Amino acid sequence: MRKLPLYIHRTGNYYERVDGEPPELKALVQETLGVHVRRVGRFIQLALIGAGRCAGQSLPQDTAVFLTSGRGDLEVTMDVLEQLFVHAQPPKPLSFINTVSNAACYYIAQQLKLQSRSGFACNRHFAFESALQLAVSDFEQGIIRSALVGTVDVVVPPAARHRKQLGLTENTVLGEASHWLWLGTATDQPPIGRLIAAEHHADRDALIRSIAALELPATTLVSCGQFIPRENALPLRRELGFQQAFEYREGRGYYDSQSGAAVATFLESALPGSYLLHVNADPASRYSSFIVQAALPPP
Amino acid sequence: MRRAYFIGASSHTSLGRGLADSLRALEHPPVPQSVTARFADRDQMVPYRILKDDAASDAEERLYRVLERVIVQALDAAELTSTERRALGLFIGSSSADISVSEARYRRELDSDANAIALSASSSLGNLAAALRERFDFRGPDHSFNTACTASANALAYADATVRSGRLEHALVVGVELFNVVTALGFHGLQLLTPDTMKPFDRARNGLVLGEGCSALVIGSRARHAQPLSLRGSANICDTHSISAAHPDGSTIAHVISGALRSASLTASEIAAVKVHGTASLLNDEAEVAGMKRVFTTLPPLCALKPYLGHTLGACGLNELALFCAAADRGFLIGTPGICAGDSDLGITLNQTSTDLPPGNYMLNYFGFGGNNTSLVIERQGR
Repeated sequence: MRKLPLYIHRTGNYYERVDGEPPELKALVQETLGVHVRRVGRFIQLALIGAGRCAGQSLPQDTAVFLTSGRGDLEVTMDVLEQLFVHAQPPKPLSFINTVSNAACYYIAQQLKLQSRSGFACNRHFAFESALQLAVSDFEQGIIRSALVGTVDVVVPPAARHRKQLGLTENTVLGEASHWLWLGTATDQPPIGRLIAAEHHADRDALIRSIAALELPATTLVSCGQFIPRENALPLRRELGFQQAFEYREGRGYYDSQSGAAVATFLESALPGSYLLHVNADPASRYSSFIVQAALPPP
Repeated sequence: MRRAYFIGASSHTSLGRGLADSLRALEHPPVPQSVTARFADRDQMVPYRILKDDAASDAEERLYRVLERVIVQALDAAELTSTERRALGLFIGSSSADISVSEARYRRELDSDANAIALSASSSLGNLAAALRERFDFRGPDHSFNTACTASANALAYADATVRSGRLEHALVVGVELFNVVTALGFHGLQLLTPDTMKPFDRARNGLVLGEGCSALVIGSRARHAQPLSLRGSANICDTHSISAAHPDGSTIAHVISGALRSASLTASEIAAVKVHGTASLLNDEAEVAGMKRVFTTLPPLCALKPYLGHTLGACGLNELALFCAAADRGFLIGTPGICAGDSDLGITLNQTSTDLPPGNYMLNYFGFGGNNTSLVIERQGR
């Protein structure tokens, strides 16, 4: 079995605050991929933009695709439900087929000419963390050598309805995003960072024990995910034994898979060799963590 | 190498409540029903295989009731302690997840409010796992797979890897698919449905029947049986030929089958039987046969289970595996009398009667919308 760390070769991101109508994405898809992708909805468009930016000019053909989302393709699912139960119209064939979440993986693999495994898996509060853990599992077993791991969440206007649907307050600022990492084991190009660990923890004690066992440097930055109340972040960081916080969510509109933004935001400004520990929690006080190290300067 | 053995299973499908009941029902399987799919002020009759002894009513509660019963039976069969139960990981595979609940709530709310919001009951594919985690106080990780017809097969593959790696001692794999109007009318619109029993690979094939089903499987690192079953290998490949069908030349299906054999460190000749996907549509039947013929010089006995269960979509990975393994555990391979009996236009024959199945390696294949293809290799060890 191959053990971590894995190399982070590139990140690809899209984020937009949504106040009214979300921006048109067709042109951005074309700009990113160089082709016009027809008959796909917003969720798939965002997946293509994020994954395409992450892929850059090319990816190994055997790159796997791991897609996740906090809410999935709300747009196509709501459209099918409204057409059915309000307008008495059965689903159109392509709309129905696109309700499967892995439809986005299909378009990514097709556009980036990938021939490997792909899949959509999620967790209500640990969406991005869930995808990372599954990708790590495949790397550890030696099944894959290269993977795109990403998360997508869309806003379906009108904003007031979207907020209500997500259980948000009336003045919550909304955002939609697509965050991707290209992970791999190849050493033929300099990585921008390394993924050191991605783990689930049954409770807080298990989290503390697990992180302590890694003996991370005291300078490690700690970021808390969106499902840890802000007032709990400082006590948790102290309990973990670290002083410095890393903030990546400030000013960000609400979407469910914000953890996906942590890696790229950290690597954009990180000191060479520095570490980020990201921790998130769910309402049952289970925890999920991942650790990233920024690349060291070339010798 | 550490293994993840199948140590407790249960199932509720149109064939039976529990696996023993399902095996008994193979002699006289029920016929598909015609079910009313109601949308706005319209009705559409759709052929469906509905759960035995549990009519498709009270949709806001039924999903959780069925899941709870099946999971409890699987956990009890595995004889896990309460500590082991709390620590296990949950891996769910489904196409529709809790959409049946969302539909029912939406329809109820539309009755009193024309501006009711769709998906107010649940707007995340992770909510079903969250509900089960809360009900059973699971503390391990949970992952919800939504990869069309391969979803629960993929869930098993990742659960197996997590136990093998030592991260978990036990995992609970769940596949569930219950009647819902979106699925019923989606397939109706694709003109893929038949009111009759499915006849995969048969000249008389006429499409598929949707099926309800819920299965649960507990896997663990310690075998509890003299001839334990386990997942020996698996592969998953994204086929980019078409979003709704595998490549007709069989190349991509051969690719995933070969990958599963490599993963299991086996040659094709070491596979004692194949459980086909068999959706009884010409395109998929042709591609599946072409793929198998590319890999197998001589085809092993072929077993189709959708004629009994219907197509249970994202749950078929586990529903069909549970039924196949229950029969294998009793030493036989399930037959489909009269279906693809020898005059198939595709040049294959399905196993016709219950025949002896010695311990060995069996392949189970699944191919889904979105190009998601998965092949599993199951091993039943000899004494």
